[in-house]
Amino acid sequence: MGILSLVTFAPLIGALILSLVPAEHVKAIKALAVATAVATLALSLLIYFQFRAGDFHFQLLESVPWIPSLGIRYLVGVDGISLWMILMTAVLGVVATGVSVYETKRVKAFMILLLLLETTMLGTFVAVDMILFYAFFEAALLPIALLIWVWGDEGRKKAAVRVFIYLFAGSILMLVGMIVLAQLTRNATGRLSFSLIDVQAAVAHGGLWAGALNLEAWVFWAFALAFLIKSPAFPFHTWLVDSYTQAPTGAVILGVLVKTGTYGLLRFCLTLFPDTLPHATPIIMTLAVIGILYGGAAAAVQLDVKRLIAFSSLAHVGFIVLGAFSMSYNGLLGAALGGVNHGVATGALFLLIGLLYLRRRSRGINEFGGLKAQMPVFAALFLISTLAAVGLPGTNAFVGEFLALLGTFESGFAHISGLSVAYAALAAAGVILAAVYMLILFQRLFYGEPRLPAVRRLRDLKPWEVALALVPTSLILWGGLYPSTFTRPMEASVNATRMMGMNAVDQRPVWGDPNQRLDARLNLLTSEAGPSIQVSPAALHVAGPIAAFSGTSRADDAGGGE
Amino acid sequence: MEASDFSYVPWIVFTPLFGFLFQAILGKFLIDRLGVSNGRRLCGLVAVLAVLVPFLLGIAATMRLAGYGPGARGTMVTVAPWIDLASLKAPFEFFVDPLSMTMVLVVTGVGCLIHLYATGYMADDADYPRFFTYMNLFIVAMLLLVLAGNLLLLFVGWEGVGLCSYLLIGFWYRDHANAKAANKAFIFNRVGDFGFILGLFLLFCLMASNAGAVPDGRFLSFDLNSFQLVNALAANPGYTTAIALLLFVGACGKSAQFPLYSWLPDAMAGPTPVSALIHAATMVTAGVFLLNRLYPVFLASSVAGSVIAAVGAFTALFAALIAFGQTDIKKVLAFSTVSQLGFMFVACGAGSFSAGMFHVVTHAFFKALLFLGAGAVIHAMAHNQDMRNYGGLRKYLKITFWTMMVGFFAIAGFPYLAGFFSKEEILGAAIGQTDAVIHIAGFVALFTAFLTAVYMARLSGLTFFGAERWRELPATTAHAAEPPPAALGEEPDPNAFYFPPAQVAERDALAAHAEHQELQPDHKPHEVPVSMFLPLILLAIPSAIAGFLLGKGKLEVWLYPPMAVPKLPGANDVPWLPWVSGGAAVLGIVYGLIVYTKGLPTDQGWNMSKWNPLRRLAADQFHYDAELMTGMSVGGRTVGLALAKGVDPFLIDGAVNATGYAAGAMGLILRKLQSGYVRFYALIMLLGVLAIVGYLLFASHGGANL
Repeated sequence: MGILSLVTFAPLIGALILSLVPAEHVKAIKALAVATAVATLALSLLIYFQFRAGDFHFQLLESVPWIPSLGIRYLVGVDGISLWMILMTAVLGVVATGVSVYETKRVKAFMILLLLLETTMLGTFVAVDMILFYAFFEAALLPIALLIWVWGDEGRKKAAVRVFIYLFAGSILMLVGMIVLAQLTRNATGRLSFSLIDVQAAVAHGGLWAGALNLEAWVFWAFALAFLIKSPAFPFHTWLVDSYTQAPTGAVILGVLVKTGTYGLLRFCLTLFPDTLPHATPIIMTLAVIGILYGGAAAAVQLDVKRLIAFSSLAHVGFIVLGAFSMSYNGLLGAALGGVNHGVATGALFLLIGLLYLRRRSRGINEFGGLKAQMPVFAALFLISTLAAVGLPGTNAFVGEFLALLGTFESGFAHISGLSVAYAALAAAGVILAAVYMLILFQRLFYGEPRLPAVRRLRDLKPWEVALALVPTSLILWGGLYPSTFTRPMEASVNATRMMGMNAVDQRPVWGDPNQRLDARLNLLTSEAGPSIQVSPAALHVAGPIAAFSGTSRADDAGGGE
Repeated sequence: MEASDFSYVPWIVFTPLFGFLFQAILGKFLIDRLGVSNGRRLCGLVAVLAVLVPFLLGIAATMRLAGYGPGARGTMVTVAPWIDLASLKAPFEFFVDPLSMTMVLVVTGVGCLIHLYATGYMADDADYPRFFTYMNLFIVAMLLLVLAGNLLLLFVGWEGVGLCSYLLIGFWYRDHANAKAANKAFIFNRVGDFGFILGLFLLFCLMASNAGAVPDGRFLSFDLNSFQLVNALAANPGYTTAIALLLFVGACGKSAQFPLYSWLPDAMAGPTPVSALIHAATMVTAGVFLLNRLYPVFLASSVAGSVIAAVGAFTALFAALIAFGQTDIKKVLAFSTVSQLGFMFVACGAGSFSAGMFHVVTHAFFKALLFLGAGAVIHAMAHNQDMRNYGGLRKYLKITFWTMMVGFFAIAGFPYLAGFFSKEEILGAAIGQTDAVIHIAGFVALFTAFLTAVYMARLSGLTFFGAERWRELPATTAHAAEPPPAALGEEPDPNAFYFPPAQVAERDALAAHAEHQELQPDHKPHEVPVSMFLPLILLAIPSAIAGFLLGKGKLEVWLYPPMAVPKLPGANDVPWLPWVSGGAAVLGIVYGLIVYTKGLPTDQGWNMSKWNPLRRLAADQFHYDAELMTGMSVGGRTVGLALAKGVDPFLIDGAVNATGYAAGAMGLILRKLQSGYVRFYALIMLLGVLAIVGYLLFASHGGANL
């Protein structure tokens, strides 16, 4: 068993052990669940240390035949884009089980479901076989729906049914799309395979869509719809508002669930459909911009803290989608980074709001006030999370959103796929809205006199709660002050993804060709085996309508230089 | 020139950073340990040192810099990578050149004095270490802004100072009004940042389009790119104007220019040292600094220059008029700041960036002095800020009075004080321009200079001269302590989330002790302690003499040496200007003092209905702010509610449900399913998958093509 499988199934193993513990041993169950999550995180760090940055291929691959007659394999691997998703899931797993220590209702079942959920999400990020991906992607729905159904708030049953149907219906078509892809792969290569590596190789060499160009758009939208619903992008966000609001405190990890959507966009939609992308891009980016403005405007009038966070998520996801489909180096990197950043930042907000909810049993933003006087440490931690939500430089969110916007601007400026700078300009206006709704929230919770009797009784966070909250908040600052930790392993995979979508046939990187090397700095694709392929890859920057100028004249004159 | 000569420059930023961490982590602990007075003394000392040390380092670096030839002053000190991508590199790098070092000296010099002042002003505040935590963090962010070696790092400082401004405006967090002022400041600045970031994007596209010219990917760095930048700008005049105007939107937000000015008067909700440091001397001048840092962009676009000068002149006049309607001493100074910032933009618009910087420097001295003096008055008057209650204070606050008079004469432009020189350079640059807009802007500014003298005389007269008007106040009884809120419930508390009731009562008693003090008719004002009047004296000196030291082109040669920088378009000499501007100042001072030293004019008293309608209009900021805020909040609320309560549940969910019901209805008809669409979906899904898998199996054997 390789390290990837170990990490993926570690929570499942923990859940299995938990199922053997009698339900009345609540303390032991909680301790075991937390220990499982911590062990998973520790193991996932091993992935990080074994990962080679600068290589765009899937690494640490494990392959076991599953249904050989259908070309389905248990195939897992990790690349620069999925690496941080895995680590983020493991981190939030610890946070989620940690705060669930306060759960009192059917603790054993709760913890088992939480750990199951973690396994399904880790599985989604490591799966390289499409059917395996689909299995994990869908399997996550059951624990999520059950967690909301049993442990949620007042409208939980409706929300649970809704999240299940919505997401389930959304991804059915994707399965059809996968089957079509596998079939086309066989047509192109003579071998039926659901492996993403094989499919992508067929796409890269132009064989896959050569005989089925009329199908490409259909399959693309089958995938895109599933992921846009999960992300969620406008107008598919109403399930998120319900489930965020109703979810129990321990469902901090819900923030990761939605990241499987944006991850899917990067993994499938950008890599496999080079001919459809130019047509689909303006549509999807329009939805993203609407989502940013819509989410921001709607968040500003919410009176329920969790609903506010849900609408803000709609806006933040808009930046990720925008960056991804800008297909520029900066934008795509911003999207890959944004997935991680937003997961961490939302995780922090959810945790802190959960800790508050446990104390006050209220989500109304007008039912607090004066918390800064009452809980100064909590206020400081919440402030850091707020700043991340606002996208302030120095927090991780800034780096991701800045790059996503910059990439969107670049593509719009150069009129790639018929885009214009209006996309970036309107999206940038969403940053103003983020300040509006987050500052209103912060003011209502923390400023003023602590008037309400229930608020005046509150103690500050306990030391272990502070330690738990410091996990995501310190990652917020780390990602903002030293983003290289996050971007360096990503760059090669991001660039490869971009070139898979943008380059012409036979100039696209191929996951299945281990000899290919991608020099991100020089932006060159070379192959060691045989004569190196002559490629003209998409440039790191797109020139646009800029008049040429010389950059060297007078450089030797006195002045700014050393 | 060697970067190793300046290897200590990063410590200019690190020292206040350590100060910030010290206050944040140890402040409260030390006060608990050493007792309130000793603990606060130690915290205050560390806070002041954390700004004094960078000031000394700044002096050393400036002297070293001055030792190089005028054309060779400028080097990049790289500290660590920050954004480090193949497509874009923006390291933590500091650009040491005359411009950045000038700002460093102003920020740390004035900042150090204000920190010292604040140790006295805030001495009784329960949140003493938190105050200095924010103040030191502000110094860090401001130094990052001025030392930043690339535009993105500058933006970090730019947003960082905005954050500290937000935190310090809302420092007294128990009052929601302060929080609202803080929010307003942050959001108005965000509107400006919207322009800033788009300008940055466009500049990036311009530089990155010829990536070969910048092989190391540092597209936004200031040092290596200046010549590529000039060439790129010259080749793309349309984009140059767009970049200049977008960046100017950012400058308008930070430097409180029309139409984004109205957060600054509200920002006076913060403690007075904050108003002096952030909202007068340093942060609000960041817009002018930005224009100086990227002067090739603004110089290359004559359209942008005219727009900037026009906005600056209008803001200067507009704010000066509003100042006549204000009775709150800090509000007068706030509108005066907005007005003076307008002067700086007139200079930059006229192409005389050095004149703008000159006024930044002199204004930092005399406006910080005026604010700290106002703080001393407020401190002496039981935190009452209304000038209608003052009068005759020169008898009680001798040092404050004399130092503030220096500040008043300096800002009014009295001949040979600091403001006279810097204003004259601005007016000369603008009036001497042939461009009609800039030429007119110069005359508007000249008239505003006269108004400045009058309203500052009003402030001084009402505060220090005339009868002691607080004697006529009705005596108020001691504030009745508000009854503590309802008794606390005895809920079960298995998780130890709550204080036991006894402890809550104890905290209540403690809170009741800190009672607000009101101005009484028998109040006797006292001169402030030495920690507060020493900064006043030390600021009064440069307010008087900075003009001699830096004027007559000395600062211009330092910032923009003629042999190294392409000659700025020179203005025609305006030989009559010194006489006219000096005369206007003297005239304004004399007129103002004659009117306002006699006491409060009856048409400016407590009864606002007796006011001149024009003055009432000025007091209301010509209704601009009120209308804007109402429009924005009502409009935004309407849109938000329409989306969240209308579109979401009815349109979007309606469509989703309709799809579901349609499917369900179809199911009813076709499949005779009775239980709605849930099972229908499941069934269809199952059938569909079976069909496809079956097809696939069949196809893999039969070899049919799709």
